[in-house]
Amino acid sequence: MRPVIRATLHYLALVVISAIWLIPVYAMLINGFKSNLAVLSTPVLVPPTSFSLSAYHIVFNALERPLLNSLIVVIPTALISTFLGAMGAYFFYTLTYSFSKFLSSLSDFLFSLITLATFIPYQATLIPLTRLVVSMGLLDNYLGIMFAMLIFYIPTGALLMSMFISVVPRSIIEAAKLDGAGDLKIFMKLILPLSLPGFISTLIFIIIEAWNNFFIPLVLVTTPGMRLIPVAVESYTGGYGTIYNETFAAAVIASIIPLAIFIFLGRYFIRGLIALGGGGKGV
Amino acid sequence: MKKSAIILVIPTMAFTIILLYLVIWNAVVSFMNWSLLNPKPYFVGLQTYLSVMKQFQFVNSLVHSLELSATLVVVGNVLGILFASLLYFLSSNKVRSVFLSIIIYPLAISMAVDALIWLWLYNIDIGIDWVLVKIGLPKFPWLSSTSTMFPSLILVTIWAYSGLATLFYLAGFMNIDKTIIEAAKLDGAGSFKILRKILLPNSLNSFIISTALLFLFSFRIFSLPYILSGGPTNIFLQTLVVYMYYLFTVEFFSQATAVATIVTLIASIVILPYALVIIRRWIRR
Amino acid sequence: MVKIIAKNISKYFKKRNGYVIALDDVSLTVESGARFGILGPSGAGKTTFMRIIAGLEVPTKGELYFDDKLVASNNKIIVPPEDRKIGMVFQTWALYPNLTAFDNIAFPLTNMKLSKEEIRKRVEEIAKILDIGHVLDHYPRELSGGQQQRVALARALVKNPSLLLLDEPFSNLDARMRDSARALVKDVQEKLGVTLIIVSHDPADIFSIADNVGVLVKGKLVQVGRPEDVYNNPVTIEVANLIGEINELEGKVTKEGVIVGNLKFPLDKSYKSERVIVGIRPEDVKFTKDLINDENWILVGKGVVKVIGYQGGMFRITVTPLEGSEDEEIVTYMDHPLKRKEEVLIYVKKGSVKIFET
Repeated sequence: MRPVIRATLHYLALVVISAIWLIPVYAMLINGFKSNLAVLSTPVLVPPTSFSLSAYHIVFNALERPLLNSLIVVIPTALISTFLGAMGAYFFYTLTYSFSKFLSSLSDFLFSLITLATFIPYQATLIPLTRLVVSMGLLDNYLGIMFAMLIFYIPTGALLMSMFISVVPRSIIEAAKLDGAGDLKIFMKLILPLSLPGFISTLIFIIIEAWNNFFIPLVLVTTPGMRLIPVAVESYTGGYGTIYNETFAAAVIASIIPLAIFIFLGRYFIRGLIALGGGGKGV
Repeated sequence: MKKSAIILVIPTMAFTIILLYLVIWNAVVSFMNWSLLNPKPYFVGLQTYLSVMKQFQFVNSLVHSLELSATLVVVGNVLGILFASLLYFLSSNKVRSVFLSIIIYPLAISMAVDALIWLWLYNIDIGIDWVLVKIGLPKFPWLSSTSTMFPSLILVTIWAYSGLATLFYLAGFMNIDKTIIEAAKLDGAGSFKILRKILLPNSLNSFIISTALLFLFSFRIFSLPYILSGGPTNIFLQTLVVYMYYLFTVEFFSQATAVATIVTLIASIVILPYALVIIRRWIRR
Repeated sequence: MVKIIAKNISKYFKKRNGYVIALDDVSLTVESGARFGILGPSGAGKTTFMRIIAGLEVPTKGELYFDDKLVASNNKIIVPPEDRKIGMVFQTWALYPNLTAFDNIAFPLTNMKLSKEEIRKRVEEIAKILDIGHVLDHYPRELSGGQQQRVALARALVKNPSLLLLDEPFSNLDARMRDSARALVKDVQEKLGVTLIIVSHDPADIFSIADNVGVLVKGKLVQVGRPEDVYNNPVTIEVANLIGEINELEGKVTKEGVIVGNLKFPLDKSYKSERVIVGIRPEDVKFTKDLINDENWILVGKGVVKVIGYQGGMFRITVTPLEGSEDEEIVTYMDHPLKRKEEVLIYVKKGSVKIFET
C-alpha cells in the first residue's frame, strides 16, 4: 500500500470511529434547541432549521434547584475526599517503607480496604447505608448525601493520591525528617505542593464521579426539593408522544459541568483514570 | 513512625471502617430472615441464600450481569487495542489527544444522562432506525423487542467504557521505549508487525488493568438499566444490583442483603488480588 | 560534637527468596570531631550503613551509640532520626523543589521554634560561609549543580548538627567542580568542628576529606586506617583496587621471587600458596629503553608496549611481559609517549610491590 493511501485510511478509520462516538453528544447539542413544533416533525439526528430556547427555558427552571443541590453536595465532598484521602495516602507512603513486618502487613490490609471501598458496587451497601443515614437523622439532608459519598470517595482519594504521592522522592521526605519536621508539616509543606497536579487530578476525578453518581442521591433523597441533578433528569425519560427537546436540554444541563471540566481540564481527569488503573508513565 | 502520623490516616480509616461495617452488616443480616412480614428476625443460616438462588429472577439477573461484564470485557479489550493502535501510530501528539478525548468523553457523562440520550436514539421511528430506513436498511427493534433489549444496553456500555481500555492500552504502548520502535522501523517492520511483535507482547499489564476495571465498572452499572426500563422491575434489563434494589423496594430485606453479599463477594474476587498485586506493586516501586 | 560507636551491626533485607545481607557484623568507632570516610563499591552496604547511622534504617542486629547513648539496637530505633542532631547531604541532594534556597536552608530552623530574625541571621551566616548569599531567593531548579550542592550543605549545617553525613555528595557534580567542592567541605568542617562521615566509591573524596577510612566490601568492614596507610598496605587486592589504580598480575612463587611470564618480582617474605597476585601501583613502575642506575628501582624484566593512551596530560602506557604471559598488563603514566610494539625494560620501585595470597 502506498503511504498516502495508508495515512488516508488511518485517518478515515479514526474519523469514522469519532463520528460514531460523537453521535450522542451531537444529538444532545442539536435537539435541545428545537422548538416543540420541530420536535414533532424532525427525527433525532436531523439538525433544527430554526433556533429555539424554549426547551432550555422550561427545563432550566425545573433543574435549577437540583443543579444547585449537586453543586452544594459535590464540591465540598470532592475537596474533603481529596484532602483527607491525601493525608491517608501519605500515611500509607510512610508505612510501606517502614521497618516492621507487622506495619507492612497492616499497610497491605488497609490498602485492600481502600481499594475495596473504591471499586465495590456501592449499591450493595444500600440497606445498611440507608439505615445508618436514617438513624443519624440525615435523610433528605445535604450532610447525609455527603456522608454517604465520603464513605466511597475518601478511599478513592486515598487510592489515587497514593499513586501520585509515590512519585515524590523518598529522600526529600527523609531529609525533612532529619530536619526535624513532623509528619503533618511534611504533608502540608512538601507533599501537598509537590503532588499538586495529582491533587488536582484526584479532585477532578472525584468531582466527575460524584456529580454523576445516581444511586446514592436516589436512595437518600425522598423529597423533590433535595434531588441532585442525575436523579432529577430521570423525569425526562419521556417515551412515545413526549417532547424530546426537553429531554436533551435536560441532558445538556446535567452534563454541562462534567463536560466543561473534561474539555478544559481533561488531562487531569485522564491522569486520574490512569492512576485508578495503577499508574503509568508520567502520572 | 511517630504517633502524629497516625492522625493523618484517621479520617480515611474511619470512613473505610464504616464501609467495612456496612459490608459485614449485610453479611450478617443475610443469614437472618428479616423482611416486611418478619419484623423480629432471627438466624436461619443459609436458608435465605438457598431461597434466593432458587428464584428465576436472581438467576436471570446474575446471568445478565455476567453477560454484560463478559461482553464488555471482551469487546472493550478488542476495541481498546484497535483504538489504541490507531492512536499510537499517529505522528502528531495533538491529533492523538483530540481523538483520545473523543473516545474517552463518555466516561465524564453520567450513565443516567446516557440513558436519556440513548432512549431516544433507540426510538424505532425517529432514532437511529430513521437513518437505517433512509439508507434502505431494515429497522432494528432495539429496546422494543425483549430479545434485543439487553444487547442494546450492552452497546451503550461499550460506547461508554471502551475509552477506558483504549486509555490503558495507549498508556502501555507509550511506555515502551521509543528507540525500540524506531529500530524496528529502520529494520523495515510495518505497523502491524510492530503491533504484533512489540506492542502487544508488552501489554499484559494493560490487559489486566482494562479487564479488571471494565469488569468492576460494568458490574455496578445501575442507572442505565434502571432508567432504560423506567424502574427496577423490567426483568429483561435486570442486573444483579438492579434486582437487589428491587428486593429492597419490596422490602425483602434479607434477600436483598444476600444478593448484596453475593455482589460484594464477586467484586472482591477481582478487587483484592488487583489491590495487592497491581496497585501495590506500583506504589512500592 | 559526637562520637559514633557501631557495635556488631548487621543488616538483612528481606528478598523474595530469603535474605540479602547488606551489612555483616560491622564494628567501628568514629571519634568526636573526626573526618571519617567509608569507601566501597556500589552495593557494598555503605549507604545502608550511613542510613543506619542517620536512623533512616534500623540495624537488624548490633548496637549503635552516639557518645555513650544507645540510639539503635537489634531491630529497634531508640532515638529517632530527628533527635540525633544530624545534618545529611544526600546523593541527589534532596532539596525541596517547591521552596527557595533560603526556605530550604531555613527549613530545619523552622522546626526549632526560633524567631524569624534568628532564622534569617543564621541562614545568612551559613550562606555567606558557603558563598550562596546571592542566590537565596532562587528555586533549586534555577541553581547550578555546584550551588545546589552548597545549598544542601548549608541546609545540613545550619542547625549546628553534631554529625554531618555526606552520601556520595560529589557524584552529581561536574568533574572539574569536585575538587573545589571537596576543599569547601573540608574547610567548613574544620571551621565548625562537626564530626563528619562521608560515604563514597571515589578514593579522591576520601583522600581530600577523610582522616580515616573504613573499607566495606560485600557488607564486611575489611580494613580501617589512615587513607595513605590503606593505600600503601591494603589487606586485599580488592581494597587496593578501591583506593586507587593498581596493576594486577597473576604470578607463581619461587625461591628467587614471583614469576609472571618472563618477569621476576622480588619477594619480601615467604608465602604459603604457590599462586599469588602481584599488585603494583602505576606510579611505582617505570618503562625505559636504557638501564637505570638507581638502587631504589629494581629491574624485573623486559616487556613490549601494547597500548598508548592519553589522559590528564600524561601518556598512559600499557606493557605486557615479553614472553609467557601476554594477558598480563602493566600500566604506568609517562610524560612522553613510547612506540607501540617497542621493547622496554620494566622497573619497579623498591619495597612497593604488594603480594596478595589468593
